[in-house]
Amino acid sequence: MAARTLRALCRPRLLVAGSSRRAAAGAEFRSAYSLDKLYPPRGGGGGGGDTGSVPEQEAKPPALDIPMDRLTVSYCRSSGPGGQNVNKVNTKAEVRFHLASADWIPEAVRQKMASMHKNKINRAGELIVNSEESRYQMRNLAICLEKIRVMVTEATEKPKVVSKETAQELIARVEKMNRERLRQKKIHSNIKQSRKADFD
Amino acid sequence: MGGPGGSRALELLRSLPRVSLANLRPSPGSKKKEKRRGRGRYGGRKCGRGHKGERQRGNRPRLGFEGGQTPFYLAIPKYGFNEGHSLRRQYQPLSLQKLQYLIDLGRVDPTQPIDLTQLTNARGVTVQPLKRDYGIQLVEEGADIFSAKVNIEVQRASELAIATIEKNGGVITTSFYDPRSLEILIKPVVFFLRGQPIPKRMLPPEDLVRYYTDASNRGYLADPSKVEEARLELAKKYGYSLPDITKDELFKMLSTRKDPRQIFFGLAPGWIVNMADKKILKPTDERLLKYYSS
Repeated sequence: MAARTLRALCRPRLLVAGSSRRAAAGAEFRSAYSLDKLYPPRGGGGGGGDTGSVPEQEAKPPALDIPMDRLTVSYCRSSGPGGQNVNKVNTKAEVRFHLASADWIPEAVRQKMASMHKNKINRAGELIVNSEESRYQMRNLAICLEKIRVMVTEATEKPKVVSKETAQELIARVEKMNRERLRQKKIHSNIKQSRKADFD
Repeated sequence: MGGPGGSRALELLRSLPRVSLANLRPSPGSKKKEKRRGRGRYGGRKCGRGHKGERQRGNRPRLGFEGGQTPFYLAIPKYGFNEGHSLRRQYQPLSLQKLQYLIDLGRVDPTQPIDLTQLTNARGVTVQPLKRDYGIQLVEEGADIFSAKVNIEVQRASELAIATIEKNGGVITTSFYDPRSLEILIKPVVFFLRGQPIPKRMLPPEDLVRYYTDASNRGYLADPSKVEEARLELAKKYGYSLPDITKDELFKMLSTRKDPRQIFFGLAPGWIVNMADKKILKPTDERLLKYYSS
């Protein structure tokens, strides 16, 4: 009985006849630290009280948006030790998608990926990525998606173009190093020669 | 059992034969025979003590003594593995599998916000605030089979657990309870019977402020707009489409949240709950109201 009354008390307050008279309490209790006081709607940054301001996070480049309906996701049983659990539970996640018709990847990047990962592309032209590292299906799927993102990023990066001035500087640097090395070698050679006692 | 005015017992006494030593016996199982050592053909003779020496004479050395060799517990150097263990915060784990189990059996109601009180009443978790427990943490075991839409409030949650709950259309919040509030939260009726006003929940200590103001942990002090962004980000990371909870019929229930200073849903700090008379007493003095809403 006590538990029932308790559950009734803990339920979010519906409008009871008695409480509507006490307008001071209002529908919900709001203290000085309630969210609408800490973060005023459409306010600027500093709404925080004594909780302190949250430090600005470094701007991360947004993760690539992968359309899930264009991918084929299948789950099967993982390999390795684990007894009954690994034999029964489908935790290995495999993601495949047709690379040539993937519009969400730019054309040039697609070509690059086809050449970089041609071992992962089957005869039908589907890029296959699988993961069985984690015990959880969801995490394995996340790892697959992360691998796809990494592949796309690697294929997107342009080879570093060295400007003419920098190229000339680099060559000059190497030549200077060689000259210095030969100079030091000659000095060392002279020292060694001077120690030689040559009796004519 | 006795009947009105104990008449049933009197009736029995009238009809049954006279109570005497021949009719009485103790209730079965109440008198257990004591263990008497060293009796019988096999239990006697040496009485299980072996043959001569320290063993039979009862003079064996202390536990851990290795005959003079430096014992294990002295040979191994000290290292502070357990140093400050009594000052470390502990969180009882609650797996998603157990939560699903409780919901399936009907012990926890998913149509109401799930709180530590609900879980304790359902005997799903046992929290001991005196053993440095600061609440519960949501653990990923059972993430693949979890399929319940709930509004749950825990003290810590891992990323996969948050993703699982949100994937099924639920809402998860992490919040802080100081030990006093935690004790009240776990055993509310016992607290109400004390007749004290509900205290306000304290804010988290310095090292936990960062955790609870972080949207990626769904902290209760985090910016709601950042929480929205974090939900989308998590959906992109784990590859599920985030269900729109605003279109849900239980949206009102899913969006109920406690105020950072509130311990119970629907009860504000400063109120006294009278269990005997089923009444709630609220303070009217201005200073008290100002204190409890600060």
